Amino acid sequence: MTDIWATILGLAAASFAIRIGGFLLALHLPQEGAWARGMDALPGCLIIALVAMLMLNGGMNEWGGGTVTLLVAYKTRNLPVSMVSGILTVALMRLLW
Amino acid sequence: MTALPNHSIRSDLALGARDMLPMALAAATYGMAFGLLTAQSGFLFSQATGMSALVFGGSAQLVAFDQLMGGAGVGAAIFAGAALNMRILLITASMRGALINRPWWQVVASVYVATDASVALMQTAKSRGALASYWYLFGGGLLLFLVWILATAFGFLLSHGIPTPEKFGLDFAIVAVFVALLPGMWRGRSDVLPWCVAGATVVAFQALVPSQASWGLIIGATLGAFTAGVTHHD
Repeated sequence: MTDIWATILGLAAASFAIRIGGFLLALHLPQEGAWARGMDALPGCLIIALVAMLMLNGGMNEWGGGTVTLLVAYKTRNLPVSMVSGILTVALMRLLW
Repeated sequence: MTALPNHSIRSDLALGARDMLPMALAAATYGMAFGLLTAQSGFLFSQATGMSALVFGGSAQLVAFDQLMGGAGVGAAIFAGAALNMRILLITASMRGALINRPWWQVVASVYVATDASVALMQTAKSRGALASYWYLFGGGLLLFLVWILATAFGFLLSHGIPTPEKFGLDFAIVAVFVALLPGMWRGRSDVLPWCVAGATVVAFQALVPSQASWGLIIGATLGAFTAGVTHHD
Protein backbone atom coordinates (compact mmCIF):
# COMPACT_ATOMS: atom_id res chain seq x y z
CA MET A 1 0.00 0.00 0.00
CA THR A 2 1.69 3.18 -1.22
CA ASP A 3 -0.46 5.34 1.07
CA ILE A 4 1.36 3.93 4.09
CA TRP A 5 4.81 4.78 2.75
CA ALA A 6 3.67 8.23 1.63
CA THR A 7 2.36 8.93 5.13
CA ILE A 8 5.52 7.59 6.79
CA LEU A 9 7.87 9.64 4.60
CA GLY A 10 5.73 12.78 4.81
CA LEU A 11 5.47 12.58 8.58
CA ALA A 12 9.19 11.79 8.85
CA ALA A 13 10.06 14.93 6.86
CA ALA A 14 7.66 17.06 8.91
CA SER A 15 9.00 15.68 12.20
CA PHE A 16 12.60 16.37 11.25
CA ALA A 17 11.72 19.90 10.15
CA ILE A 18 10.08 20.46 13.55
CA ARG A 19 13.09 19.05 15.42
CA ILE A 20 15.71 21.13 13.62
CA GLY A 21 13.35 24.14 13.55
CA GLY A 22 13.15 24.32 17.34
CA PHE A 23 16.92 24.56 17.66
CA LEU A 24 17.25 27.13 14.87
CA LEU A 25 14.48 29.18 16.47
CA ALA A 26 16.24 29.10 19.85
CA LEU A 27 19.49 30.30 18.21
CA HIS A 28 17.82 33.54 17.20
CA LEU A 29 16.11 34.32 20.47
CA PRO A 30 17.68 36.71 22.99
CA GLN A 31 19.32 34.99 25.94
CA GLU A 32 18.15 37.44 28.60
CA GLY A 33 15.04 39.28 29.71
CA ALA A 34 11.51 38.13 29.02
CA TRP A 35 12.48 35.65 26.28
CA ALA A 36 14.98 33.91 28.53
CA ARG A 37 12.50 33.75 31.41
CA GLY A 38 9.95 32.21 29.06
CA MET A 39 12.43 29.65 27.68
CA ASP A 40 13.46 28.71 31.24
CA ALA A 41 9.84 28.09 32.18
CA LEU A 42 9.09 26.18 28.97
CA PRO A 43 10.06 22.60 29.97
CA GLY A 44 7.96 22.75 33.17
CA CYS A 45 4.97 24.19 31.29
CA LEU A 46 5.29 21.51 28.63
CA ILE A 47 5.35 18.69 31.18
CA ILE A 48 2.42 20.05 33.21
CA ALA A 49 0.44 20.43 29.96
CA LEU A 50 1.30 16.83 28.99
CA VAL A 51 0.26 15.56 32.41
CA ALA A 52 -2.99 17.53 32.23
CA MET A 53 -3.80 15.98 28.86
CA LEU A 54 -2.91 12.44 29.92
CA MET A 55 -4.84 12.67 33.20
CA LEU A 56 -7.94 14.08 31.48
CA ASN A 57 -8.06 10.84 29.51
CA GLY A 58 -7.59 8.68 32.61
CA GLY A 59 -10.17 7.12 34.91
CA MET A 60 -10.17 6.56 38.66
CA ASN A 61 -7.33 4.02 38.51
CA GLU A 62 -5.07 6.40 36.59
CA TRP A 63 -5.81 9.23 39.00
CA GLY A 64 -4.96 6.92 41.88
CA GLY A 65 -1.71 5.92 40.20
CA GLY A 66 -0.93 9.54 39.35
CA THR A 67 -1.42 10.66 42.94
CA VAL A 68 0.84 7.92 44.31
CA THR A 69 3.51 8.69 41.68
CA LEU A 70 3.44 12.39 42.56
CA LEU A 71 3.67 11.76 46.33
CA VAL A 72 6.53 9.26 45.99
CA ALA A 73 8.36 11.57 43.56
CA TYR A 74 7.95 14.46 45.99
CA LYS A 75 9.33 12.39 48.87
CA THR A 76 12.12 10.48 47.10
CA ARG A 77 12.94 12.52 43.96
CA ASN A 78 13.75 9.17 42.43
CA LEU A 79 12.33 8.61 38.93
CA PRO A 80 12.40 4.76 38.69
CA VAL A 81 11.03 4.30 42.24
CA SER A 82 8.21 6.81 41.63
CA MET A 83 7.32 5.16 38.31
CA VAL A 84 7.21 1.65 39.74
CA SER A 85 4.98 2.71 42.65
CA GLY A 86 2.57 4.39 40.24
CA ILE A 87 2.50 1.39 37.90
CA LEU A 88 1.92 -1.02 40.80
CA THR A 89 -0.90 1.17 42.13
CA VAL A 90 -2.65 1.16 38.76
CA ALA A 91 -2.17 -2.60 38.36
CA LEU A 92 -3.51 -3.24 41.87
CA MET A 93 -6.51 -0.95 41.46
CA ARG A 94 -7.40 -2.60 38.15
CA LEU A 95 -7.19 -5.98 39.83
CA LEU A 96 -9.51 -4.92 42.65
CA TRP A 97 -12.13 -2.99 40.69
CA MET B 1 34.48 24.84 22.83
CA THR B 2 37.29 22.64 24.09
CA ALA B 3 37.39 19.10 22.80
CA LEU B 4 36.63 16.46 25.36
CA PRO B 5 38.94 13.48 25.71
CA ASN B 6 37.43 10.28 24.35
CA HIS B 7 36.94 8.61 27.68
CA SER B 8 34.79 11.47 28.89
CA ILE B 9 32.65 11.32 25.74
CA ARG B 10 32.17 7.62 26.39
CA SER B 11 31.27 8.13 30.04
CA ASP B 12 28.77 10.88 29.15
CA LEU B 13 27.18 8.62 26.52
CA ALA B 14 26.92 5.79 29.05
CA LEU B 15 25.52 8.00 31.78
CA GLY B 16 22.89 9.42 29.43
CA ALA B 17 21.88 5.91 28.37
CA ARG B 18 21.70 4.79 32.00
CA ASP B 19 19.58 7.77 33.08
CA MET B 20 17.26 7.08 30.12
CA LEU B 21 16.41 3.55 31.33
CA PRO B 22 13.14 4.45 33.13
CA MET B 23 11.88 6.25 30.02
CA ALA B 24 13.09 3.34 27.87
CA LEU B 25 10.81 1.03 29.86
CA ALA B 26 7.87 3.29 29.06
CA ALA B 27 8.87 3.47 25.39
CA ALA B 28 9.26 -0.32 25.20
CA THR B 29 5.66 -0.95 26.24
CA TYR B 30 4.35 1.80 23.97
CA GLY B 31 6.47 0.60 21.04
CA MET B 32 5.27 -2.97 21.45
CA ALA B 33 1.68 -1.77 21.45
CA PHE B 34 2.37 0.16 18.24
CA GLY B 35 3.99 -2.88 16.59
CA LEU B 36 1.09 -5.06 17.62
CA LEU B 37 -1.48 -2.64 16.25
CA THR B 38 0.25 -2.18 12.90
CA ALA B 39 0.67 -5.94 12.45
CA GLN B 40 -3.05 -6.41 12.95
CA SER B 41 -3.89 -3.68 10.43
CA GLY B 42 -1.95 -5.00 7.47
CA PHE B 43 1.27 -3.00 7.71
CA LEU B 44 4.40 -4.74 6.43
CA PHE B 45 7.20 -5.35 8.92
CA SER B 46 9.33 -2.83 7.00
CA GLN B 47 6.59 -0.22 7.30
CA ALA B 48 6.07 -0.65 11.03
CA THR B 49 9.77 -0.53 11.92
CA GLY B 50 10.45 2.05 9.19
CA MET B 51 7.86 4.38 10.66
CA SER B 52 9.38 4.00 14.13
CA ALA B 53 12.88 4.70 12.79
CA LEU B 54 11.92 7.63 10.55
CA VAL B 55 9.29 9.40 12.64
CA PHE B 56 10.39 8.41 16.16
CA GLY B 57 7.41 9.89 17.96
CA GLY B 58 5.03 7.53 19.75
CA SER B 59 1.84 9.53 19.89
CA ALA B 60 2.40 11.09 16.44
CA GLN B 61 2.86 7.65 14.86
CA LEU B 62 -0.24 6.32 16.57
CA VAL B 63 -2.41 9.25 15.55
CA ALA B 64 -1.19 9.28 11.93
CA PHE B 65 -1.74 5.52 11.76
CA ASP B 66 -5.23 5.93 13.22
CA GLN B 67 -6.14 8.66 10.70
CA LEU B 68 -4.81 6.63 7.76
CA MET B 69 -6.67 3.46 8.79
CA GLY B 70 -9.81 5.52 9.36
CA GLY B 71 -9.65 6.61 5.72
CA ALA B 72 -8.78 10.26 6.38
CA GLY B 73 -6.18 10.31 3.60
CA VAL B 74 -2.40 10.81 3.51
CA GLY B 75 -2.48 14.60 3.95
CA ALA B 76 -4.74 14.52 6.99
CA ALA B 77 -2.71 11.73 8.57
CA ILE B 78 0.56 13.64 8.14
CA PHE B 79 -1.00 16.83 9.45
CA ALA B 80 -2.43 15.17 12.56
CA GLY B 81 0.88 13.45 13.34
CA ALA B 82 2.88 16.64 12.75
CA ALA B 83 0.52 18.59 15.03
CA LEU B 84 1.29 16.16 17.85
CA ASN B 85 5.02 16.42 17.17
CA MET B 86 4.97 20.23 17.21
CA ARG B 87 5.81 20.11 20.91
CA ILE B 88 9.27 18.73 20.00
CA LEU B 89 9.95 22.20 18.58
CA LEU B 90 9.82 23.46 22.15
CA ILE B 91 12.06 20.61 23.34
CA THR B 92 14.87 21.08 20.80
CA ALA B 93 14.62 24.81 21.52
CA SER B 94 15.34 24.12 25.18
CA MET B 95 18.33 21.91 24.18
CA ARG B 96 20.05 25.01 22.79
CA GLY B 97 22.73 25.08 25.48
CA ALA B 98 23.97 21.57 24.69
CA LEU B 99 23.81 21.95 20.91
CA ILE B 100 25.24 25.38 20.30
CA ASN B 101 28.70 25.55 18.67
CA ARG B 102 28.50 21.89 17.63
CA PRO B 103 29.23 20.78 14.04
CA TRP B 104 26.03 20.59 11.96
CA TRP B 105 26.05 16.79 11.76
CA GLN B 106 26.16 16.50 15.52
CA VAL B 107 23.23 18.92 15.81
CA VAL B 108 21.29 16.88 13.25
CA ALA B 109 22.05 13.59 15.05
CA SER B 110 21.01 14.95 18.42
CA VAL B 111 17.78 16.64 17.37
CA TYR B 112 16.85 13.48 15.43
CA VAL B 113 16.70 11.51 18.69
CA ALA B 114 15.09 14.33 20.73
CA THR B 115 11.76 13.46 22.39
CA ASP B 116 9.82 14.29 25.55
CA ALA B 117 12.26 11.99 27.31
CA SER B 118 15.03 14.51 26.55
CA VAL B 119 13.28 16.89 28.94
CA ALA B 120 13.38 14.18 31.60
CA LEU B 121 17.08 13.67 30.92
CA MET B 122 17.88 17.39 31.21
CA GLN B 123 15.92 17.38 34.46
CA THR B 124 17.87 14.40 35.81
CA ALA B 125 21.16 16.11 35.02
CA LYS B 126 19.94 19.30 36.67
CA SER B 127 18.92 17.49 39.86
CA ARG B 128 22.53 16.30 40.03
CA GLY B 129 23.69 19.88 39.79
CA ALA B 130 25.10 19.56 36.27
CA LEU B 131 23.92 20.80 32.89
CA ALA B 132 23.10 18.08 30.38
CA SER B 133 26.08 17.80 28.01
CA TYR B 134 25.84 17.08 24.29
CA TRP B 135 27.01 13.47 24.59
CA TYR B 136 24.83 12.84 27.64
CA LEU B 137 21.70 13.87 25.71
CA PHE B 138 22.78 12.01 22.59
CA GLY B 139 23.57 8.81 24.53
CA GLY B 140 20.15 8.84 26.16
CA GLY B 141 18.39 9.67 22.90
CA LEU B 142 20.20 6.93 21.01
CA LEU B 143 19.25 4.30 23.59
CA LEU B 144 15.60 5.35 23.43
CA PHE B 145 15.71 5.31 19.61
CA LEU B 146 17.08 1.74 19.53
CA VAL B 147 14.64 0.50 22.19
CA TRP B 148 11.77 2.11 20.29
CA ILE B 149 12.61 0.35 17.01
CA LEU B 150 13.30 -3.00 18.70
CA ALA B 151 10.05 -2.79 20.70
CA THR B 152 8.09 -2.05 17.51
CA ALA B 153 9.70 -5.04 15.79
CA PHE B 154 9.08 -7.25 18.82
CA GLY B 155 5.42 -6.22 19.10
CA PHE B 156 4.94 -6.80 15.37
CA LEU B 157 6.51 -10.26 15.35
CA LEU B 158 4.77 -11.45 18.50
CA SER B 159 1.47 -9.94 17.50
CA HIS B 160 -0.24 -13.15 18.49
CA GLY B 161 -0.11 -14.38 22.06
CA ILE B 162 1.45 -11.27 23.56
CA PRO B 163 0.37 -10.65 27.15
CA THR B 164 -1.76 -7.54 27.65
CA PRO B 165 0.40 -4.76 29.11
CA GLU B 166 -2.71 -3.14 30.65
CA LYS B 167 -3.07 -6.04 33.06
CA PHE B 168 0.24 -5.08 34.68
CA GLY B 169 -0.40 -1.37 34.57
CA LEU B 170 2.49 -0.99 32.12
CA ASP B 171 0.54 1.34 29.84
CA PHE B 172 0.66 3.77 32.78
CA ALA B 173 4.48 3.94 32.60
CA ILE B 174 4.39 6.95 30.26
CA VAL B 175 2.03 8.94 32.47
CA ALA B 176 4.13 7.98 35.51
CA VAL B 177 7.34 9.36 33.92
CA PHE B 178 5.85 12.80 33.43
CA VAL B 179 4.05 12.95 36.77
CA ALA B 180 7.26 11.91 38.55
CA LEU B 181 9.15 14.76 36.84
CA LEU B 182 6.88 17.45 38.24
CA PRO B 183 8.28 17.90 41.78
CA GLY B 184 11.81 18.34 40.40
CA MET B 185 10.69 20.87 37.78
CA TRP B 186 8.86 22.99 40.31
CA ARG B 187 10.93 26.14 40.88
CA GLY B 188 8.71 27.78 43.47
CA ARG B 189 5.94 30.34 43.54
CA SER B 190 6.91 31.93 40.22
CA ASP B 191 5.75 28.70 38.54
CA VAL B 192 2.18 28.83 39.92
CA LEU B 193 0.73 31.15 37.30
CA PRO B 194 2.55 29.74 34.22
CA TRP B 195 1.64 26.16 35.19
CA CYS B 196 -2.01 27.09 35.81
CA VAL B 197 -2.17 28.82 32.42
CA ALA B 198 -0.62 25.78 30.68
CA GLY B 199 -2.90 23.29 32.43
CA ALA B 200 -6.06 25.35 32.05
CA THR B 201 -5.44 25.79 28.31
CA VAL B 202 -5.22 22.01 27.88
CA VAL B 203 -8.42 21.50 29.87
CA ALA B 204 -10.20 24.21 27.85
CA PHE B 205 -9.14 22.66 24.52
CA GLN B 206 -10.23 19.22 25.66
CA ALA B 207 -13.62 20.57 26.74
CA LEU B 208 -14.30 22.89 23.79
CA VAL B 209 -12.51 21.34 20.79
CA PRO B 210 -11.60 17.75 21.75
CA SER B 211 -10.65 16.90 18.15
CA GLN B 212 -7.83 19.49 18.35
CA ALA B 213 -6.63 18.53 21.84
CA SER B 214 -3.01 18.15 20.67
CA TRP B 215 -2.91 21.85 19.77
CA GLY B 216 -4.03 22.60 23.31
CA LEU B 217 -0.79 21.00 24.47
CA ILE B 218 1.46 23.23 22.35
CA ILE B 219 -0.56 26.39 22.84
CA GLY B 220 -0.87 25.70 26.58
CA ALA B 221 2.89 25.19 27.04
CA THR B 222 3.65 28.28 24.94
CA LEU B 223 1.14 30.46 26.82
CA GLY B 224 2.57 29.22 30.11
CA ALA B 225 6.10 30.16 29.04
CA PHE B 226 4.79 33.50 27.75
CA THR B 227 3.21 34.17 31.16
CA ALA B 228 6.53 33.41 32.85
CA GLY B 229 8.25 35.76 30.41
CA VAL B 230 6.01 38.78 30.96
CA THR B 231 5.65 38.48 34.75
CA HIS B 232 8.49 39.60 37.01
CA HIS B 233 9.57 37.95 40.24
CA ASP B 234 12.27 39.01 42.63
